[in-house]
Amino acid sequence: MSNGSNQFCGRTRREFLWQMGGGFMGLGLTAMLSADGFLASQARAADGMTAFANPLAPRKPMFAPKAKSVIFLYMYGGPSQVDTFDYKPKLYELDGQTIPVKTKGRGGEKNEGRVVGPKWKFKQYGQCGKYVSDLFPNVATCVDDIAFIHSMTADSPIHGSAMLQMNTGKILSGSPCLGSWINYGLGSVNENLPGFVVMLDPKGGPISGAKNWSSGYMPATYQGTILRSNGAPILDLQPPEGVSRDMQRKLLDSLGDYNAAHHATRVDNSNLAARIASYELAYKMQSSAPVATDIDGEPEATKELYGLNQKRTQNFGRQCLMARRLVQRGVRFVQIYSGGAHNDDNWDAHGDLEKNHNFHAGNTDLPIAGLLKDLKRTGLLDETLVIWGGEFGRQPTAEYAKGTGRDHNSYGFTMWMAGGGIKGGVSVGETDELGAIAVVDRFHVRNLHATVLQQLGVDPNKLSYFYSGLDQKLVGVEGADPIQKIIA
Amino acid sequence: MVLLPGKKRRTILAWSALVLGIGSPGTSTVAAPLSDAQKLGFFTDQVKPILESSCIKCHGGEKTKGGLLLINRESLLKGGDTGPAISTDAPSASLLLKAIGYGDIDLQMPPKEKLSNPQIAILTKWVGMGAPMTPLTATRPGGIAEVPTKRIVPQVNAESMKFWSFQPVKRSAIPVVQKSDWVKSPIDAFVLAKLEANHLTPAPPADKAVLLRRAYFDLTGLPPTPAETEAFLKDSASNAFEKIVDRLLASPRYGERWARHWLDVVRYADTNSFERDGLKPNAWRFRDYVIESFNQDKPYDQFVKEQVAGDELEPLTADGITATGFYRLGIWDDEPADRVQAHMDQFDDMVTTTGQAFLGLTVNCARCHDHKLDPIPQKDYYRMVSFFQGIRPYSNGENILTEIAPQDQLKAVQNDAKAIRRRKDELRQEIASIEKPVIAGLAHGESTLPSSRKGRQSALGPLVLKAIGEDPFRHYASLIKEFDELGARKSSVAMALSVKEVGPKPEPTFVMMRGNAHVPGDQVEPAFLSILNPPKAIVPTPKPGATSSGRRRVLAEWLASDRNPLVARVMMNRVFQHHFGRGIVRSPNDFGSLGDRPTHPELLDWLASELVAKGWKLKSMHRMLMLSNTYQMSSTAEPTALAKDPQNDLLWRFDMRRLEAEEVRDSILAVDGRLNLEMGGPGVFPIIPKEVLAGQSVPGAGWGSSTPQEQSRRSVYIHQKRSLVVPILASLDAADNDTTCPARFTTTQSTQALGMLNSDFTNGEAKAFAARLRKEAGENLEDQVRLALRLALCHEPRKDDVARGVKFANDLEKDLKVAPEVALNQFCLLVLNLNEFVYLD
Repeated sequence: MSNGSNQFCGRTRREFLWQMGGGFMGLGLTAMLSADGFLASQARAADGMTAFANPLAPRKPMFAPKAKSVIFLYMYGGPSQVDTFDYKPKLYELDGQTIPVKTKGRGGEKNEGRVVGPKWKFKQYGQCGKYVSDLFPNVATCVDDIAFIHSMTADSPIHGSAMLQMNTGKILSGSPCLGSWINYGLGSVNENLPGFVVMLDPKGGPISGAKNWSSGYMPATYQGTILRSNGAPILDLQPPEGVSRDMQRKLLDSLGDYNAAHHATRVDNSNLAARIASYELAYKMQSSAPVATDIDGEPEATKELYGLNQKRTQNFGRQCLMARRLVQRGVRFVQIYSGGAHNDDNWDAHGDLEKNHNFHAGNTDLPIAGLLKDLKRTGLLDETLVIWGGEFGRQPTAEYAKGTGRDHNSYGFTMWMAGGGIKGGVSVGETDELGAIAVVDRFHVRNLHATVLQQLGVDPNKLSYFYSGLDQKLVGVEGADPIQKIIA
Repeated sequence: MVLLPGKKRRTILAWSALVLGIGSPGTSTVAAPLSDAQKLGFFTDQVKPILESSCIKCHGGEKTKGGLLLINRESLLKGGDTGPAISTDAPSASLLLKAIGYGDIDLQMPPKEKLSNPQIAILTKWVGMGAPMTPLTATRPGGIAEVPTKRIVPQVNAESMKFWSFQPVKRSAIPVVQKSDWVKSPIDAFVLAKLEANHLTPAPPADKAVLLRRAYFDLTGLPPTPAETEAFLKDSASNAFEKIVDRLLASPRYGERWARHWLDVVRYADTNSFERDGLKPNAWRFRDYVIESFNQDKPYDQFVKEQVAGDELEPLTADGITATGFYRLGIWDDEPADRVQAHMDQFDDMVTTTGQAFLGLTVNCARCHDHKLDPIPQKDYYRMVSFFQGIRPYSNGENILTEIAPQDQLKAVQNDAKAIRRRKDELRQEIASIEKPVIAGLAHGESTLPSSRKGRQSALGPLVLKAIGEDPFRHYASLIKEFDELGARKSSVAMALSVKEVGPKPEPTFVMMRGNAHVPGDQVEPAFLSILNPPKAIVPTPKPGATSSGRRRVLAEWLASDRNPLVARVMMNRVFQHHFGRGIVRSPNDFGSLGDRPTHPELLDWLASELVAKGWKLKSMHRMLMLSNTYQMSSTAEPTALAKDPQNDLLWRFDMRRLEAEEVRDSILAVDGRLNLEMGGPGVFPIIPKEVLAGQSVPGAGWGSSTPQEQSRRSVYIHQKRSLVVPILASLDAADNDTTCPARFTTTQSTQALGMLNSDFTNGEAKAFAARLRKEAGENLEDQVRLALRLALCHEPRKDDVARGVKFANDLEKDLKVAPEVALNQFCLLVLNLNEFVYLD
């Protein structure tokens, strides 16, 4: 660390980092600066001749990346592992029996419970012979491209804090999201599109709303942008009614003239130049963003692959197809929520497990498989990391005296990854015989985050951001290792 | 008991065999005592591979998780945060065996996966032997680091106390400079001395109109009106600017602007974040308290004391109680996964904010271990916690609310309520006695009448009139009126979001090992940061009937004392920061070793001592700063100086700045004539587009509706919902208020441009702006353009700028067949987007 304020170009460290296009704090700052010529370029910037320095300008990864983009299919509410991908034959036998088992969920800590046998059958699929339940017959056909992590753990079995942890690494509100970290570390290669995009379920947003795509203590540059699958994709992308694109062009031209005259006597201030350029970028974004999200021109066969021809899969299918088009255009991080609002509008199956999971899996199975297949055939899967999972899983036992509803479970749950240098056809980690707790090769949310950064060519234990007296990291101050067993 | 997976059950036999020492490798006879050499052989062959493969990565010295090392026998006996790893008296009760046995869900090692049963058996046997071992060394493959012999963290000692910010404030003599005619205030002497030493000259004075706009935004966050500008330009008196500064300091707008800075620092919000992001009841009273405090020029020491211990000060005032809302502004998870840890998280929020806001120190870094870069021991962190120990945990309801009316008023209110009840009873009886005969005369009595109060009254009225005649009816009507008015009268007492303690005797405070709330270490008592060489914290015995421990008052009195080297420095630095765009210390919340060094240390100390000398009154300090030549310099760059000092560390010119989010929004409302200057009260709710509300789990939840007039109030009065921020403020870098925010970012990005060009807000305001122009400038386009620029830019518009605007509107009409009215709207929108509008010279 360097002490001289000159090293920080006269800004606070937080400002310094984004303005200089940081992302390498903790790597020996001064050395990095000299190596990248940042100090020199800063001196040049003071001459006023340097063009717009996009805070999201692409930055070199720390080492050769396996993945360039991430698509996080977020199953909000917490899908049940034992009913989807974590096959536990014993559970069928125990259905209805009350057995000793330690659980902790919304309903508190319990030492015994009535087993709810899985409500779907499992079959083996693919070369790897992976067992997948009847909830995901289409995803099942892709298992040879998927690495399953059956031993995920998280710190909280409560939605609010668990959601924050899955998205930011911390159970407390106020930290930047995974997508923010990625854009901070790597920038975005497409300046006409946001680098961190979030798509919501038609039922509504997740609990805690914008905290799930907030940049926390980092600048707003790194926060997620909500993208809609119908209408104008981005807030305020298009002029209001009655204002044509020609009118706006004239406005921008005149605005540019005013700003140029103003800048002429203040040439040393590159922020003024940056603001002028940002208006031109915005104008370009108005035409490029709709193209990126306009799926109408896709071949019918592709649309069918994503389930656009079926009512129930249409929405998630559109979002998955948009996600492919976005990563194709260099968007770094796309997150799609399956499930929104509260209770059975998402995967939070406290009541009728069958009804809930049939609904949500049925809406997403075909589109997810379509996405994987489409990414694969276009070669994009090699550089796109797909993540599937929720903030936690569910208990093998019933929450209430009657019914099939399962309470939350952060002691053990399943997530999977595909593409972006992840091995296909493998499963790592195990839960116990009941699927209640991870017992073999346990991994924490931090390990998942570390894996994502690693695949993107960023050392999860080195990517840091100075805030509140500390070099903050996505994986926490103690660090975390990537899940080596699933890395190809 | 958890069911064991099949694989594990099958190994139970082998496991038992091992424990009994039957047929295990390295033993030749059953149950015969082993020699020491044999025990060490067992360690080397059986135990060591397990330690190396499963334990030493985190307990080998390179990492020492949980404070535990497993590299030699001593380290095992010493153990970690939770105690010795092995017990020689009762080996089977050893913590190490408990951890590897996985019986306790909160203590399972190795965390990644349970060891195999044979491995557990080996370790169990070994611990039973008393854990004989040869030390593991760094030469082993697997990378065991050397045992750390000494912790390399800064210690509190004479040497570390020499660090600049820990030293007492030193008032230096005002420097002697060559160009003494430039020195209008001592500030100038300090600045000029440095410039001269570096062979630089200060920039020329700013243009009068530029200076006026600068002063208005700095003190009020709003632009001057054309009339105000004109008057100032015409005023050739030598004290013209002084008069302006005094007038602005006296304006209520000053408190609104400066409160905003403080609210950033103390993480002010109206809600709790997390799933429900629930309302903090009456948090707005804290916001109003801050605004009022600035407007009254409340001495800063008093301001500090009230926030830290207003409820323990004498005399007890409504302000004092309201100010302690300070402790309640942080995030709060109403459903934490770990309640014990969450309770400590609340203390951490208080320590973090107190440390950074008042002291400019990241005391929070010492929660889990001694601060790694500043001499702040972990104990000092928990000593600070102990001042807060008695504070009742945040909860919905009474823990966080206190009545703020003074005792006599409270009593009056209660008496009043009693009187109201009594009078209402009387009225009810008298009204009933008049109505009774009328109702009795009805075919079906009372049931003939509508059930609603209003309906019943309007049906009954004419009947009563008919029955008793006009004059008695007038009396009857007056009774009804009085009854209704009494019903509407509020007899409840005002409540404030505030601190409440458990009583005079808080629970003891312990150091939490590694910050883990479940692992208490040594007990600590209230004490101030040792690096500041403080007096002893003496907490007087609480008086009989005391409802709190009195500890925070002791803390408050130390914080707000001139013997504390940091408090005045930190605050003066903030004042400087918001006038000059950056502090003398550019990291306003960090005066420690990771923070920036002051660019003008002598000036900072001089200002700090001056603040104390002026009775901690901020207005006099604003005045002094603004009346200096340093403040009044132009922002224009001079090539030599720019090359020599591009970051303006030496203050050779005034730094340009972009307006902050609230300034931009408030200015838009000010120039279009819609700004509503009403002050105080509960937060208001500007319209948030439904696309943004769609991000909530229940769209619109927790976001109320306000009248258009209310929506046009200053941004400081907008309801601050942590998970839902008004888009224009969010995009222009309003503070993230989950934690203390010392300085705003200034980002520039295309989504901001989209919002400024296309949002309903800016387009709506542009229309209002155009309407104002038509009203005030008449129908002539050139006059309209000139007025627009004059309002927005605060100076007489340049000819070119007027011509460009006229041409723009004309071109729209001519080339694109746009109606004149729409063309003017578009021009207004353009003006709101000008760099000159959002930047300050």
